[in-house]
Amino acid sequence: MSIQQSRLTRRTVLRGLGVSLALPWLESLAPRAVAGPAVGASGPQRMAFMFVPNGVHLPDWTPSQDGYGFDLPHILSPLASVQDDLLVISGLTHDKGRANGDGPGDHARSASVFLTGAQPRKTAGENIRSGVSVDQVAAQAAGTATRFASLELGCEAGRSAGNCDSGYSCAYSSNVSWSSESTPVAKETNPRLVFERLFGDGAARGRDQNAARREELKKSILDFISEDARKLQSKLGSNDKQKLDEFLNGVREVERRIERADDDPKISIDVDYPIPKGTPSDYGQHIRLMCDMMVLAFQTDRTRIATCMLADAGSNRSYRQINVADGHHDLSHHRGDAAKHAKIREINRFHVSQLAYFLQKLKSTPEGDGNLLDKSMICYGSAISDGDRHNNENLPVLLAGHGGGQIDTGRHIRVAPETPMCNLFMSMLDRFGTPVDFMGDSTGRLAELQI
Amino acid sequence: MTAHTFRTTVEPGCGVSDLLSTGSLVETCRRSAVRLFAAVLCGVSATFSLAQEANSTAQFAENITPFLAKHCVACHSGDEAEGGIMLDRYRQSANVQEDFELWEKIIRLINAHQMPPAEEPQPTPDEVLAVSAAIEAELAKFDCTAEKHPGRVTIRRLNKAEYDNTVRDLVGLDLRLADGFPSDDVGNGFDNIADVLSIPPILLEKYLAAATVIADRVYEDKAARKRVFPYQAKSDDERVQIARRNVNEFAAKAFRRPLSEDEQERLFGIMRFAWQRDANEADIFKTVITAILSSPHFIFRVEQDPDPSNDDGIRQLNGYELASRLSYFLWSSMPDQRLFDLAESGELIKHDVLAAEAKRMLADPKSMALVDNFAGQWLQLRDVSRLMPDPNKFPDFDGELQTAMRRETELFFAAIIREDRSVLEFLDADYTYVNQRLARHYGIAEVSGDGFQRVPLAAGRRGVLTHASILMLTSNPTRTSPVKRGKWILDNFLAEPPPPPPANVPELEEGNETLGSLREQMEQHRANESCAVCHRTMDALGFGLENFDGVGAWRDRDGKFDIDASGELPGGRKFAGASDLMGILVAEKKEQFCKCLAGKLLTYALGRGLGSYDRCTIKDCLTIMKENEYRFSSLVTAIVTSDPFTLREAKREE
Repeated sequence: MSIQQSRLTRRTVLRGLGVSLALPWLESLAPRAVAGPAVGASGPQRMAFMFVPNGVHLPDWTPSQDGYGFDLPHILSPLASVQDDLLVISGLTHDKGRANGDGPGDHARSASVFLTGAQPRKTAGENIRSGVSVDQVAAQAAGTATRFASLELGCEAGRSAGNCDSGYSCAYSSNVSWSSESTPVAKETNPRLVFERLFGDGAARGRDQNAARREELKKSILDFISEDARKLQSKLGSNDKQKLDEFLNGVREVERRIERADDDPKISIDVDYPIPKGTPSDYGQHIRLMCDMMVLAFQTDRTRIATCMLADAGSNRSYRQINVADGHHDLSHHRGDAAKHAKIREINRFHVSQLAYFLQKLKSTPEGDGNLLDKSMICYGSAISDGDRHNNENLPVLLAGHGGGQIDTGRHIRVAPETPMCNLFMSMLDRFGTPVDFMGDSTGRLAELQI
Repeated sequence: MTAHTFRTTVEPGCGVSDLLSTGSLVETCRRSAVRLFAAVLCGVSATFSLAQEANSTAQFAENITPFLAKHCVACHSGDEAEGGIMLDRYRQSANVQEDFELWEKIIRLINAHQMPPAEEPQPTPDEVLAVSAAIEAELAKFDCTAEKHPGRVTIRRLNKAEYDNTVRDLVGLDLRLADGFPSDDVGNGFDNIADVLSIPPILLEKYLAAATVIADRVYEDKAARKRVFPYQAKSDDERVQIARRNVNEFAAKAFRRPLSEDEQERLFGIMRFAWQRDANEADIFKTVITAILSSPHFIFRVEQDPDPSNDDGIRQLNGYELASRLSYFLWSSMPDQRLFDLAESGELIKHDVLAAEAKRMLADPKSMALVDNFAGQWLQLRDVSRLMPDPNKFPDFDGELQTAMRRETELFFAAIIREDRSVLEFLDADYTYVNQRLARHYGIAEVSGDGFQRVPLAAGRRGVLTHASILMLTSNPTRTSPVKRGKWILDNFLAEPPPPPPANVPELEEGNETLGSLREQMEQHRANESCAVCHRTMDALGFGLENFDGVGAWRDRDGKFDIDASGELPGGRKFAGASDLMGILVAEKKEQFCKCLAGKLLTYALGRGLGSYDRCTIKDCLTIMKENEYRFSSLVTAIVTSDPFTLREAKREE
């Protein structure tokens, strides 16, 4: 690993003394040739997706003015300092979040469709099916450039009992990232574990003989278990084979990471960050820690792709910190009650405040001759529009960051009714350097991102 | 009152019909047609006596045919039938033996008001009730003796609880490493469902890291090392041989079956490789342990499919496979030595041995895993700790009480297992377990300290449904929700999940006392016939529990309104309050309750959702429970000796 060994050792990490991290993307460092994303003069593109449940109170979300200089309604008001760095996009639709003959289960669908644009198969257990999510499309095309292909985070650990939503397995409600149509990518909810995963090993990698031997032994273990998996796979039925495929994919990821150890950048500067103690009881602090993890991961180029579920689909958490004792989901069925609207918009605003924190942090992190937000695309939103009606058109969506100058930010844009959310994803994938011909239910691209 | 918001957080629970996979109607129909054809060839219908057949025909023609004619066949007939569903071909019988799944789907769509479509003339609520009762009666004619379909469980990885317990029992160290793994997704109400347990790359990473930690810790700990590698070489000549023996025996335990020659060679190979690289003894030891504990044979529970040449596509599980099925069902862990011995001798495949072992295992403290994992999910006790009742409405509520609530129900469940009591006590037990804090909450005097003790309940409380844990789980953070409570009982205790509300039902106002008490408002809501069909039962059950507030404390008033906990169930049975209601449930709904519990426990035991043929197993469970005073162990032994538990079927052609 890059940093001069003494600065970051596993021991310092585990002691919780704070840690110095390598910053590989320096002006002086010529970009390495990497397969995949467009690496600009001073660094690669990053993308993150943030999911919020239960829709939002649109009257306090949607700016009344379009274009530049739009107004910031109550819910968006925390974004004032980064208003010029983002787009408010009105009018996008997730048609595959609608029932389309499958009956109730809008919340489960809303999470599983959010980044996939695919109609989830209605099943409580057997043969779960969604689609490959946009973050994973990018990760599979370009993820080999970084130590971690992608990072999946969240603030709720998923249901541990009972049922989630009307005949849909909880896998649909508690994941937004899907690496294949049958494999949801589990999210990490403990900031300490995220930190340790990102930065906990590697530094201690020595160049001596013992270290070389340990690497060899580790590889022999990986060889052993892949051979086990392949032999087993040859004797099994198709559902079973798929599980073994997941296992083998995991082994390959780890192998790839070991092989990457040699090509870390040679120059570094230090960043200090205290090691998170675990999952904070304060929800806002929890979200902000997760945002920090994303910033650190981007800054140190551990990964360029992240997703974060601020809460799981249909979450009924109460928001005491802003004096809302009712459950969010219960409230979202407001039936036009003004008192409930008032509470919902405070919850929405609370979430947006955390986004504002994230964006400001990216913006204040210098990179090259600009900052991290310059080369990021942060998509924030919900796949339900109004929590009472459970409708999937005119979704609340924000796109922050400049995508390396490929997005004309600072505007409120309205797209044609029923424009698929996946069209936005297509445009993001283009800018990320991993274009595809279609994704989910996309019908094209979103020309409106640039004037 | 958010009358319909529950639909998104609670879903139909136990009904076999709701656990079915949902292929498209077209698929189902095509499959059914093939089976129908096969059935005609095999003469399956001859299993009915002529008299039964005549009777059955009359019922179908009288109760179902007219409904189909009036509401269905206009679209669903002939070659151009909508969705390929031809209902005009059913004139004499539903032919449930072949078309069971289709009829389950039909009944569900009719009950959910999804069929006939909204733009068509709608049947009256009474018509819906009558036809669904008639179809249920047809479904009940399903003949379980006709053929076997034990089903097939997908290869299943250990979930977090199973991983931790297995490591504990394998190496003797309780390391709880799975705390750092991502959550297991839940399907069919449980987190041990094979199809839903996927392995994202992060989990494999965690498995490898955990295996390394275990290997290190075992090497450092004298007792653990002795347990893992019990044999010592007496001379240098012996070293290789002893090392191989140690490794082979450990791996056989970890893989929960004997090793093949090839596997033994490969394990030796990995040690030899390390040795050739000049690794010291510690590194060789750790390498091979790490490899074993990251192998798919450890991570997954592997069962082989029947040989394709096998005629009926069904095989008897072998002793080792059964040992794992038993141990992961009852202990959420690996088999112990006795189970391995019985597997090796072949004894374990005998049903009387299986039943006896199940009883032995229930008596073992490790069966508390059933409380943590089965009860924790069936009764949703795992969710109790994350609830946040409004401190303004419930100022007495605190963390200590929250912990005690969950503990009460866990101890109650544990007592049912330990003392092998009747499962009907879930409904009407007149005792419970409290500590000082919970006793204060319940208004029970003379209990002091943090320890829990068994106490008789006051007249107003009976059974688990009046435990504060369940009452709080089924409330909103600010107040009770009779609908949530009623629906919860229907889903989790009676296997009668109400259909989701039809779209665009008029909603009732809430929080406005000028409209009257919650009950009065809900009665207005029920004046709408389309709501009344389902709410009649749901609300009656929920209002029967209105004497308990949102955190399960007794109350006589709600705001300015007196509590009225009386009600009437469909069929006219009246009750006054919770205890009365529980009495009625025991007297009249015990079969439904037992079927519901059996379905939940079978799902958990198998690690898969239930299908049509599993209703035969549930029927058998009910018979056995009846013969054994509904003792908990009788349900467990019925399950472990059932076909789906002891047999494995090749995947059926779709």
